[in-house]
Amino acid sequence: MDDSIKRLLQRIIKRIPFEMLETTLEKWGRLTEAQRNSLDFTQSKWALTERLLAICEENEWSIKSITDLEMIYIIENPNLGMWNAFQLLDPDEGAHSVDLLQFKKQFKSHLSELIRHVSVKIKKHTDEAVWIRIAWGDNFSRPNHLKPTYVVHHLQTPYVFMTSLNSKLKPLLSQALILSTKHQTIKDANLRGRNLSSIRDLLMRQYQQEFPTKYPSPLAEKNQTLSNRHIEAEHAQAAANRHRMACEAFGRGTLPQLQSAVYKLETKFRDHTNKTMTEREEPFRCVVKFTSTNLLESFRHCASSGIASTPVSPLLSSVPSKGRNYFVVTDNGPGPTQLSQSQN
Amino acid sequence: MEQHQKSVARTPPTSTIAQRKSKSIGYRQSYHSCLSATSRLGLTSALTVRRLNTTRRTPKSHNITDKVNPEHLSLLVKTEWQLSYVTPLYQFRHTQLRSYSRQLSAFIAAEKQQGLAVEVEGLHSSFRVLFSVVQGLSESDDDPETVLIQIHSKPLFGKQDEPQKPIWSGWLTCINGNSEYLRSLPEDFTCLPLFGSNGSEDLTSAVKSWFKQTFDCCFGPLEISNTNLQWLVALWTNCHREYDIQYLKMIWTLPVVPPLQVSYTVNSTDAWDLWNSVRQEMRAGEDEAENVNSIDIEEVIHFFEGLKNHFYRHFRLDLSGGSLNHISSALGSAKLSGRIKIAYSRYMITTLTLLTECALLKMPV
Repeated sequence: MDDSIKRLLQRIIKRIPFEMLETTLEKWGRLTEAQRNSLDFTQSKWALTERLLAICEENEWSIKSITDLEMIYIIENPNLGMWNAFQLLDPDEGAHSVDLLQFKKQFKSHLSELIRHVSVKIKKHTDEAVWIRIAWGDNFSRPNHLKPTYVVHHLQTPYVFMTSLNSKLKPLLSQALILSTKHQTIKDANLRGRNLSSIRDLLMRQYQQEFPTKYPSPLAEKNQTLSNRHIEAEHAQAAANRHRMACEAFGRGTLPQLQSAVYKLETKFRDHTNKTMTEREEPFRCVVKFTSTNLLESFRHCASSGIASTPVSPLLSSVPSKGRNYFVVTDNGPGPTQLSQSQN
Repeated sequence: MEQHQKSVARTPPTSTIAQRKSKSIGYRQSYHSCLSATSRLGLTSALTVRRLNTTRRTPKSHNITDKVNPEHLSLLVKTEWQLSYVTPLYQFRHTQLRSYSRQLSAFIAAEKQQGLAVEVEGLHSSFRVLFSVVQGLSESDDDPETVLIQIHSKPLFGKQDEPQKPIWSGWLTCINGNSEYLRSLPEDFTCLPLFGSNGSEDLTSAVKSWFKQTFDCCFGPLEISNTNLQWLVALWTNCHREYDIQYLKMIWTLPVVPPLQVSYTVNSTDAWDLWNSVRQEMRAGEDEAENVNSIDIEEVIHFFEGLKNHFYRHFRLDLSGGSLNHISSALGSAKLSGRIKIAYSRYMITTLTLLTECALLKMPV
């Protein structure tokens, strides 16, 4: 039996946490009743691995079956790597009618035309997402199954999410994707995060948003008794206003999880107390990176608590409204405070 | 535009000053106690009420490699040190370092032995402590020489002939310590107020307890306050004239839920231009030659206001609402929690001078 199959199985089992091993193997469904019963989950993981390797030899599992196990685990636990979002542009006629079968066939044939040694496995998940696992080789070597790329695409949407992709292979993958989804181009959506469902929700606007309104609360009766609590009321109103604007900018309830946002600022330094710098021709170059366990919730709290002034800066609200977390900011506009966000 | 003006005015420019004021009161109090202690010992009460310096000399590049043994220097740079302050050591002699090495090895061995059921053979040789003087690492004549402590040990499951490896190191120093204070100390006291350690917690506390027992001193954590981090940023930026600091990175934490970290990395040339412009604006009309060698706290505050205003103009987010807790550049890094790393030795004297001052101020005597 090929050693590489065993090594791959060993690697995958090592990755799967012990408490998830039993359910994952069950979903995989390649063990016979007797084999399943022979696995003792009170044993150490090492002993279990040994037993599975023996079964592997017995059943003569192929590399395809083993990668299937990996896919089941990754689909269930997608938040282990860094996901990059891409956007497909300029759909051709018929882009809306691409079905799974057609996509599968097209994608595989296009990719294998571009690169000789490549192994592709496509699986449809319950939530309409198509999961693609690609193991890359090159003209001289066989596909390396230990470092696969994962691609997630929802058919009929313009978004594609990728993880662990070598920049050299990106053009090949992009090419295969646009051909098989019937689009003209693909571009970096400048959105990165560890939580796949969050970046997907952000791009597809699937979270609780709030829209600006002229009458934020039901009209109140005018004949309320006036008391000395005027100031309190004013403060409460200011706080409520800040809270409303914060929610308008970032949404309500639980927000999609992003870990960071990066802004590359190349704007002029303007400060009325500092003439020398204001008159300086060159932009002031700096990079600002925000990090948090849930960036949008932190931003919302900044605005509602008053650490960030309201209305919220368009740079911050651009993260949810544009679905991006990487920006290059330059002064292109004519106005003194105009900021334009160009793509990298 | 009008709104913009207003928003600039709303960034509280006084917050750093206000913070500084409260800090200096705190320092003054600790010095009060220090004063009474010295007078109790019947010494000159020449020591005036002192607070954190508001003016410092500009950093000078030191040819430290000429003065200090490069072997020692390589041990000090590029390592992250956890800082503490130490009160003056009673009857510490630089001439007794050999005997201290022996005593501390025995002390650590004894500490480790506690709770061990079986006597391990040759335990005393498992830790080797080495005290040494770092010749040349001092600035003024009053500064006592820096002391370096290294602990070597054999790996637990290592082979018999395997050489001992350094597992812990630390140093005690005093760079440009306040001479009035140093001179007011009685003869039997040596003041090395800044203690840096790198290695396991266990060993650090063992070393500290040995010092406490032997020299009747006490240790305490030395945090690098917001103001001092700002001072370091300014001092480091000022070095850019002679040495490319490559970048200037500052990290703030904002108290929101969940906490938000803001890292602000400025191009070194642009940071230097801003610093230079602040210096020029502040010194307009003054005799330039006279003041070019000193930096005033006002300049540091203005520099930070400039950085914060630029940030506010883009994000409408007030950094003064958070705390600055980490700074770094090609010269090194420093954290609020009292961790410091020196990456370039030529300016280490400046950094250590500031830290010595912090340690002296933090000391409760």
